[in-house]
Amino acid sequence: MELALRRRAEEQRAYWLFVSPAVILYALVLAFPIVVSILLSLSNYNGGLMFGGKPWSIVGLQQYGKLIHDPQFWLAFRNNIYIVLISAFGQVPLGFVFAYLIYRKIVKGGEFWQAILYAPNIISVVVLGLLWKMIVNSNGLLEDVLNRLYAHGFLGSLNHVFANGFVMSDDLVRQLIKIADPGALATFSDPFTDLKDFLAGYTPDQLSVLKSDLTNLLARRWSPEFMARPGVAMLPILFVFLWCWTGLYLIMFLANMQKIDKEIIEAARIDGAGEGQVLSRIVLPSLSGVIANAVILCIAGSLNSFTLIWAMTGGGPMNVTEVLSIYMYRTAVVSVNYPLSNAIAMSIVAFSLVLIALTKLVEKRWGGRE
Amino acid sequence: MKKILFFALVLALAVFLPMTATAQATPLKFLYYADATQAGYQEDMDEFIQKFKDDNPDIDLQVEILFSQAYHQKLGAYIASGQLPDVVYMWPTNRDSSLLLHSLKLVRDLKPLLGADFLKPFTASALNPNAQASKKLAELPQSFTYTTTVYVNKKLLADNGLTPPKTYAQMKAMVTKLKAKGVQTLLLPDGDQWPAQSCLFSTIAGRMVGDVFTDNLVAGKAKFTSPSFVAALTFYATLFKDGVIDKNNMTMGYGDGPGLLASGKAAMFVDGDWRVGAYLTDKSTGQALIPPDNQATDFVFINFPAIPNEKFPGVASGIAGVGLGITTAVKPGSDVEKAAVKLLKWYYGPEVQAMKLRTGAFIPTRTDVLNFEGLEPFNKMINDYKNTLKPSYVIDGVWHPDVFNVLNAGLQAIGLGSETPAGLAKKLQAAQDGLPK
Repeated sequence: MELALRRRAEEQRAYWLFVSPAVILYALVLAFPIVVSILLSLSNYNGGLMFGGKPWSIVGLQQYGKLIHDPQFWLAFRNNIYIVLISAFGQVPLGFVFAYLIYRKIVKGGEFWQAILYAPNIISVVVLGLLWKMIVNSNGLLEDVLNRLYAHGFLGSLNHVFANGFVMSDDLVRQLIKIADPGALATFSDPFTDLKDFLAGYTPDQLSVLKSDLTNLLARRWSPEFMARPGVAMLPILFVFLWCWTGLYLIMFLANMQKIDKEIIEAARIDGAGEGQVLSRIVLPSLSGVIANAVILCIAGSLNSFTLIWAMTGGGPMNVTEVLSIYMYRTAVVSVNYPLSNAIAMSIVAFSLVLIALTKLVEKRWGGRE
Repeated sequence: MKKILFFALVLALAVFLPMTATAQATPLKFLYYADATQAGYQEDMDEFIQKFKDDNPDIDLQVEILFSQAYHQKLGAYIASGQLPDVVYMWPTNRDSSLLLHSLKLVRDLKPLLGADFLKPFTASALNPNAQASKKLAELPQSFTYTTTVYVNKKLLADNGLTPPKTYAQMKAMVTKLKAKGVQTLLLPDGDQWPAQSCLFSTIAGRMVGDVFTDNLVAGKAKFTSPSFVAALTFYATLFKDGVIDKNNMTMGYGDGPGLLASGKAAMFVDGDWRVGAYLTDKSTGQALIPPDNQATDFVFINFPAIPNEKFPGVASGIAGVGLGITTAVKPGSDVEKAAVKLLKWYYGPEVQAMKLRTGAFIPTRTDVLNFEGLEPFNKMINDYKNTLKPSYVIDGVWHPDVFNVLNAGLQAIGLGSETPAGLAKKLQAAQDGLPK
């Protein structure tokens, strides 16, 4: 009896000895900041020393009230949801499809595609963000390529208009107005008169210069202005999210597919099973747990979207690509409003808890069945 | 054995002697703001920081150098954790992290610390305590900054039969000719959101509504929705409608401007006077964006042209510039205070300020170093340009951040065609009304 009690006491001591460092670390690194953040979100603290500085007090749920009525908060929240959705319903299914195509050798050069799709994972997220910024931003690669295409197309129309050389006439002006981009004409107060005046500055032997100038002046020009529309602005970012991390899930699925006994698949094929049946009856059930884990991983990863978006757009233009973490950062650093930024931080914690609950549900429902 | 003992003694001396020397030196924590990619950075490090260290072995200068938002974030964190550096780089107004320095009274008055004799060569506007948010010489403005400067490629204009515009109508009339040559008329890269407000709209507001009206706006005695303020926003919108500014500027990075002007992709570029440094010769590479030989012949700096119906002609947005401040972490009468004052006197002294002028960092408020002989033409041209101006408010220097941030985003939205002047005015009024009373 005494021995049993002593053993139990020893077990208790050992338990606390091993558990306490982790508990202390957790309390210091996670629990304490969360508690302080909750306090700050309920306060009127506006910077400086928290203790021993300017006095501050708890003023209640004012900041949360502000957040609920703040359209920027809901815009940032919606952008976060988009990222979760593209992660769960984009990266995972695409990763699975690519892995399956490579595994079943439906596409040639599997190792090459594997390396290409995984490559973004080994590059710094900041580098990736800046790279895509240079592609989609003003004066970027996309704008340059599209504008060259538009200019080329417009030059073709101009060649048709000037098929018989440059002879000034009202009909010529009307034809130019007809082929011009309406957006380009919008800067003229009177397109007919202004264009006529413009053409008067050229002589028939300057036709090639005139064509080049008219292309600059009247051809359609593309600019990434869609980036300013809420919702649409997130499209390039969501695409980059898809491009960046689909390769990770590809590798994860492929590694697990390679563990499936090939004889089972061969036997199924001999028994007359089609590719669809192999997929639905053998591969998918074998990987259900991995798929659930992948969904959990990608949901967790989707919350870590600050770096890529910050490098790519900085939350702009007009803050339409802000996610909650960028909105929190801007509120704290630019507006220097600590209570509001902590209220946003708390909303991120709440959002994370909901996502964790969701992942637990996914795990419980579909996890670990293989 | 003797050899081992001798070696151990030498090792011990090598390790402990420097420690002893450092222990005797007065530690001085300095948070500095500098852009390592800008021409003049190397001179700043050599002639300001390193020279001070070499000349003052009794001071252990611990410098931390950051730039842009990273600086504000770090200073904010230092303030919140009670670990204020001894000397900081700061703004005279409530911009970003400087808001906390002013509102929480975390910086000391430099007037008694530097002394009247030392401050004699500085301009009166630099020493004006009312130009600073905390109504004292919290920092000594190293320059007076005009945030609106139109950098004009006059050679490009001349090649197209044009001259620098004096009125907006003249500027508008250039659009067709320049666009036909694939050249933008006026460049305003606003991807970072603040340039449209700081470098252009502040001057438009200064011309169309004036500083008194702005004071009334801030005090809540005037409305953002008033016709005169909406007219100022409408004029800004007109710049895009008339094609003077291309809407792609609204998503263009702030860093893109100088290169586009220098390469002839734009005829004019509106930015602050500080941007002149971007064109000067970088001593570390020997390269200049605009070679000194072409600076005076091909370029000119002008104020924004006359705006139709402007009430205050010729004003341009200007503000007391940034500078160094001594924080309240430095106790009066301490050795650290002496070291901090020594650092500031070195920084604002003739040698460092002459270097700042030479490298195009800014035109110093210290007047006895304003000798332009042997400097690149842009140095003198920007000084001559500034001498012609009358200042009006820079909006982010007088409005609350919660309000000017709405304006920054709104100006970008107007440029992109997704906001109207009246709509933005309403949002500004709502932001102003929502400020804590």
